[in-house]
Amino acid sequence: MGMKLTGFAIVAVIACALPYMVELYQVEVLIILMFNLILAQSYRLVNTTGDWSLSHIVTMGVGAYSSALITKMLGWPFWLSLPLSGCVAGAIGFMIVFPLLRTIGFGFFIGSFALGEFVRLIWVKFHYPFGGPRGLINIPPASIGPFDISDMIVYYFFCLGIAVLSIWIMYRIDRSHIGDTFKAIHTDPTLCETVGIRVPRYRAMAFVIGAFFAGIAGALMAHHQGAIDPHSFEATLMVYLIIFVVVGGVETFWGPILGVIVMTVVFELSRPLEEWRPLIAGAILIFFLVVMPGGLEILVPKAMAILRKVSAIDRLLPKAPV
Amino acid sequence: MEFSTLIQTIANSIVQGSVYSTVAVGLALGFGVMKMANFAHGEFYMLGAYVVFLLYTTLGAPFPLAVLAAFPIVAAVGMLTERLIFRPTQGNVLAGFMATAGLAFVLQVLVGQAWGVGLMRAIATPYMGALQVGGAFIGWQRLLIVPAAIAMVAALWYFLYNVKIGKALRACAQDPEVAALQGISINKVTLLAMAIAGGYAGIAGALMAPIQPVTPYMGHDIIITAFIIVIVGGMESIAGAVLAAFILGFIHTFVTTLFDGVVATMAGVALMALILIVKPEGLLGKVKA
Amino acid sequence: MVLLETKELSKYFGGLRALRDLSIEVEAGEIRGVIGPNGAGKTTLFNVISGVYKPSSGSVYFKNERVSAMSPSEIAARGAVRTFQRDAVIHDFSVLRNVAVARHLHTGQTLLKTLFGNIGRLQRQDEEKAEEILEFVGLYDLRHELAANLAHGFQRVLGIAIALATEPVLLMLDEPVAGMNPTETAHMTGVIDKLHKERGMTIMLVEHDMKTVMGICEKITVIDFGEKLAEGPPKEIKNDAKVVEAYLGAEDFVAQR
Repeated sequence: MGMKLTGFAIVAVIACALPYMVELYQVEVLIILMFNLILAQSYRLVNTTGDWSLSHIVTMGVGAYSSALITKMLGWPFWLSLPLSGCVAGAIGFMIVFPLLRTIGFGFFIGSFALGEFVRLIWVKFHYPFGGPRGLINIPPASIGPFDISDMIVYYFFCLGIAVLSIWIMYRIDRSHIGDTFKAIHTDPTLCETVGIRVPRYRAMAFVIGAFFAGIAGALMAHHQGAIDPHSFEATLMVYLIIFVVVGGVETFWGPILGVIVMTVVFELSRPLEEWRPLIAGAILIFFLVVMPGGLEILVPKAMAILRKVSAIDRLLPKAPV
Repeated sequence: MEFSTLIQTIANSIVQGSVYSTVAVGLALGFGVMKMANFAHGEFYMLGAYVVFLLYTTLGAPFPLAVLAAFPIVAAVGMLTERLIFRPTQGNVLAGFMATAGLAFVLQVLVGQAWGVGLMRAIATPYMGALQVGGAFIGWQRLLIVPAAIAMVAALWYFLYNVKIGKALRACAQDPEVAALQGISINKVTLLAMAIAGGYAGIAGALMAPIQPVTPYMGHDIIITAFIIVIVGGMESIAGAVLAAFILGFIHTFVTTLFDGVVATMAGVALMALILIVKPEGLLGKVKA
Repeated sequence: MVLLETKELSKYFGGLRALRDLSIEVEAGEIRGVIGPNGAGKTTLFNVISGVYKPSSGSVYFKNERVSAMSPSEIAARGAVRTFQRDAVIHDFSVLRNVAVARHLHTGQTLLKTLFGNIGRLQRQDEEKAEEILEFVGLYDLRHELAANLAHGFQRVLGIAIALATEPVLLMLDEPVAGMNPTETAHMTGVIDKLHKERGMTIMLVEHDMKTVMGICEKITVIDFGEKLAEGPPKEIKNDAKVVEAYLGAEDFVAQR
């Protein structure tokens, strides 16, 4: 227990110090990291029932478009549009998952793509209100009441706070009976039905909650970029999200976070090779799926074991003479 | 709609359906035989187009030769894919599918780095001129795809039903355990299926090279349509793929003519969703017990 | 009071007839055995009653309510729960967690409470109830063991504990002692007996093990080719000519006479 707390404390300190330790353009990367953390963690939430979807990026887009339109056209404040956008994303998520509850596996995967793409094409098609292929511009910068929080470092801390809050909520769900229900559905849906668990309802619940948080991430992104367009939510981006969770692993709660951090570092380091980045990403995806399907998280217990061994050896060494 | 426009649209639909057939049958074969969903199928198509670019445009080889050359070259890529991606992820359709998404990225970048990204290679049309029917113009280059598609589908049909290895392929698709008991090597069959799938996608791309812009990303649009077709037709059914290819060809062309390309894509995607909800096994697919 | 009733229940799979005009009445508090040769339709009967299959014709009534078209979860919510022949446990969960998650119908952990409330106390409640159940079936000492690591016999007992977590009124046991050694069989039979005598649970059990069935069941229904062949107390069934004929050659049955 002490070790966990120390771990969290170290992470907290690093997270708070980081924006001051890097170049300004890299604060941008950190902000996007926050979006991706929420995105990947919420994708895992959906996966815990065993459903893999291809529409998660689109629900992020729903949040982005919602917040943009709520603040721009209705003139409502950001602190209201943020949670509202999550709700809209959750609602659209429900409309996507509901017809798919009769299928699982590959059918669900490709069906979620079809419905998600249909939503995305609505943004492409209709200039009003979505702006068509060019999308929306002049999205009001984020502000809470009279405070403008759109400054890079301020916004980073704001997004960090939202990310921590979101992940904490998802953690509570994961650890609860409902989280156990999701995992049980993944393992043996027939058994679950037999003990009174309405499997379709819980699959939908996981999907909608996941969509809600994806929407939150989308709203955060919309106000940061100031402009959004349908291309930001294409299938290609979905593949990158999948890379995050495959690299990290989804068995443990923290796997996706590990995946996001590792891949963000990889992408940053490969900045000079920018044109080769999709190849690097693709190769990494192939590698993990073929060679290490459990993701990096399976290495963590091994690393911990090594760490413990090292600290044990420390105790065995004779004390240095005074 | 004017009569000549109607004829034109029907003619275009037939051509479009033929193009879709050549792309979709390979995908359906892969899925039917070994439950392999190949996201990189669109990139196989793209590679076929680049074979024509290299052999016909750059080296000056005759067009038919260049097209035929696409078969063995892309078939080889297909076999590599089977060996390196599908065999290790056997049994896990999603894993194989996602890994081929990674492969798609890899191929796009490799081709882009080798021959330029964003530059749309215009390949000179080897067959100029057009057929005139009832006020409609159909370029010969596009028209030849129809007999080519018929030949390809017929050849595949013959292979599957009258050639020993082809029958083995079908046996594997129906019941891999029984097929194995009869001495059929599943590995060889899977390799063959991916070779044919790749080769066919390659020829499809090769035929389309003079007609559409050749870029490293040209597979991106075709793969979505290919999966819609395969899902609508029934994921394991070759006949279903052909039927759905023409249905989609007609829907796509007519909707584009009447509205626009975006609405056409929406219609295709909506059809896919509808089938998955109402008849998940597809139009000609078999219900799984 | 008649707890469960099937009225001319039929189930067809394509051309295959699994159940035909089967009418059964199970009284509250009974312990009923369902036997028959292999392929007679016993598991299909359970599958239809518990909602896994829909009947082709006929109906199922539970507590005088028509449940024929309901989903398994709806039927379970009404108090009719079945167990499985196969190992139906969540392998990655501990024994305790398996039973705790099966408290689904009675847990206080709603989504709202999970998001905004303190669920620690509610979680503890579920676990305490789960521990009670494990105590009852004799698995308390193994409660922190991973379900996957349990011996087959114990996994089946866990299956019963999982079913008990729903607080059922009718328990349908599908071959509870299949594949068990004598010790495990004795343990399981003891649990079933305790459930019936101490808790007054209505139990239906499908079994091949004649000793077990004849030993604990008050009444037995014999099924063959999806039809009711005979019904009555064990003594009658043992001597019924039709039943003997249906089992002709079945050593375990003949040996019981």
